Amino acid sequence: MSEPLLVFRGIEKTFAETNILRNVDISLYPGKCILLSGNNGSGKTTLLKIIAGLETPSRAEIEFSGKSHSWKSAIRSIRREIIYLHQQPYLLSGTVESNVSYGLRFTHLNRKQLRESVKEALEWAGLADVAKQQAKTLSGGVQQRVAFTRAWILKPKVLLLDEPMANMDIESREQACDLLKRMKSEGMSIVITSHDTNIIDGLIDIHFSLSDGKLD
Amino acid sequence: MEGMLFTTQKALHLLVTGDPELWSIVMLSFSVSLKAIILTTPPAMLVAYSLVNGNFPGIRIILAVFNSLLSVPTVVIGLFLYVMLTRQGPFGDLRLLFSQTAMVIGQILLCFPILVALGYATINAADRRVRETAITLGAPWWFTILTVLYEVRFGLLAAVLTGFGRIISEVGISMMVGGNILGYTRNITTAIALETSKGEFAQGIALGIVLLVLAFVLTTFLTYVQGKQEMST
Repeated sequence: MSEPLLVFRGIEKTFAETNILRNVDISLYPGKCILLSGNNGSGKTTLLKIIAGLETPSRAEIEFSGKSHSWKSAIRSIRREIIYLHQQPYLLSGTVESNVSYGLRFTHLNRKQLRESVKEALEWAGLADVAKQQAKTLSGGVQQRVAFTRAWILKPKVLLLDEPMANMDIESREQACDLLKRMKSEGMSIVITSHDTNIIDGLIDIHFSLSDGKLD
Repeated sequence: MEGMLFTTQKALHLLVTGDPELWSIVMLSFSVSLKAIILTTPPAMLVAYSLVNGNFPGIRIILAVFNSLLSVPTVVIGLFLYVMLTRQGPFGDLRLLFSQTAMVIGQILLCFPILVALGYATINAADRRVRETAITLGAPWWFTILTVLYEVRFGLLAAVLTGFGRIISEVGISMMVGGNILGYTRNITTAIALETSKGEFAQGIALGIVLLVLAFVLTTFLTYVQGKQEMST
């Protein structure tokens, strides 16, 4: 296996005197997909949010470029490389196009480059025909694809997906799976949580199980 | 009954014929209250956002203070401001007493806790995923705030309309720190109070009609905005 992109070490999270995560170590590799399984409430979402910098751990270290850093000091600099997608993605008010272009506003692209990137991304995801539609009026499966595209367009190194296939019909699941495989083939490191381990065949390279706050 | 009918007719006549004194009072009311609401809204929304998403000690206490301030009578705010702005007061040198600026300041003091409390309730009810989505997609902190506020814009607009309705219809502050000076600080409510005390009901009724129409328009718009909010969620 190649060198890890990021290594999170000793992640601990305590909330109301309950240890949600206990000394969890996880390495993220480029072009590899990790499945995190575990029962509801096992801490999967918390772990992903800590990796994404959306939740503060009680203790954690991050290793990258051969150096170890505290989570607090390093997370701001690496957060741009990591995107977290909710189980039910939140699409902002506006069209599919405006949702997909949201993150690009904070890059150095000019208007023309931004428009071209959005067009390319919508074609990549097969969403060109719904580009002008209000995002919130779309079906759950299409909304999930919009969320994937909104993340993909920013070319993050790490994509964290919280139960991405939950509540999806078979067709939507296949379409979503196809997009994820393409993201993986582009070198993206993907972490997926699920309590159903059979749903994402052909995508998973590494499987961890989270129980009692520990990773097995 | 006949007198009442005659007075109402006279009031309607004043309104329809565009009586300059009456409409200047109406315009002054709107001018003062619009300035107050425009100046209050951005800082109040920022405070509300910070109370929802901030992580500092005393948030509950600050919130309790704002909620308590909702029920402070306008005359008490007027009295407080009067004491501050009077010649002998700490800000007496500014010579703001009996000016439109004093009225705007008073209405800001009245409106700020209303907007913070209603803004807090609206932002607190916003989907947590909005903020997380903005952050994870690389939005800087200020754009994250704008994104969250935009997603709950209808609720916030309802809060602003409620605040505006409250300040344009208040009388205590305007009377105490405005002084009810014709053409300068006389607004709808102080004019109604004065005309009624003089037994001149026509102008009072005409101004009352303006306030009632405003209340109706605001309520209708609020209902529309709340409908939009429900649809967007």
